Amino acid sequence: MAKLFPKEHIIGFLSSIALTIAALMVLYLDVSFAVKMTILLVTAGLQASLQLILFMHIGESKEKGTLYTNIIYALFVAVVTIFGSLFVLVWDWY
Amino acid sequence: MKLDASQPLEYRTEENQLKILGFWIFLGAEIVLFATLFTVYFVLENGTGNGPTGKDIFQISGVLWETFILLSSSFTIGIAIHAMRMGMKKAMMTMMTITLLLGLAFLGIEIYEFFHYVHAGAAITTSGFTSALLTLLGTHGAHVTFGLFWGLAILLQVKKHGLNTHTANKSFIFSLYWHFLDVVWIFIFSFVYLKGLM
Repeated sequence: MAKLFPKEHIIGFLSSIALTIAALMVLYLDVSFAVKMTILLVTAGLQASLQLILFMHIGESKEKGTLYTNIIYALFVAVVTIFGSLFVLVWDWY
Repeated sequence: MKLDASQPLEYRTEENQLKILGFWIFLGAEIVLFATLFTVYFVLENGTGNGPTGKDIFQISGVLWETFILLSSSFTIGIAIHAMRMGMKKAMMTMMTITLLLGLAFLGIEIYEFFHYVHAGAAITTSGFTSALLTLLGTHGAHVTFGLFWGLAILLQVKKHGLNTHTANKSFIFSLYWHFLDVVWIFIFSFVYLKGLM
């Protein structure tokens, strides 16, 4: 059984549960909106990295440079799309 | 076909390595697809018109169930791939079956949730907010639905042909897809549900 459930996977799973509960705290903590959003960004970012590195083994093959470049470029386009739109259409920073 | 025995089955041929690389590039495109849907949601979030807001319709209990179920299924598919690399076909198939059942449970709760939204007066045509919300959730749910059929097809192939360079490669690529859907859900959980309820 121990062979079937390696330590990294157990730690990754428990961490993802803990991070979910940490994120849930934004509903109960009496802090500002900015602090709550920071909590969510940090917990979601950590969870995504955890999946990518621990479960998807992004760094295991010799193409890892290509994989990281591709994912980081996709995230760059994602961030520009989301925040670019928010700047112009929601926050009126033009 | 060059065989590199130092590699796990799913990487052992050049074709397999290229398929895995190609799938990662596809996932990059999926990130951008979901980014555009999140963009639409964030822009239209407050455009509720005469319809309900997120606070009115979101129920945290169902969402938490969905989250824990999907996190668990991400764990079980991870174990399935680990078992596959050790050549444990039966354990791999068991873990993959559990993964698909958890995916089915997730989908059941999500469908129930959609019924609840429509009953609460939040259909896809109600407001900008509901259109954006249901398009984002629906696209993720459609991915999970597709994943269930895809995973089942691979499971049947593993059962029939055993673990070889073809089935191991397909299973590994499926695991990447499934983990990715979990990552997307984490962002939906955080920035749609929790943000909407706080």
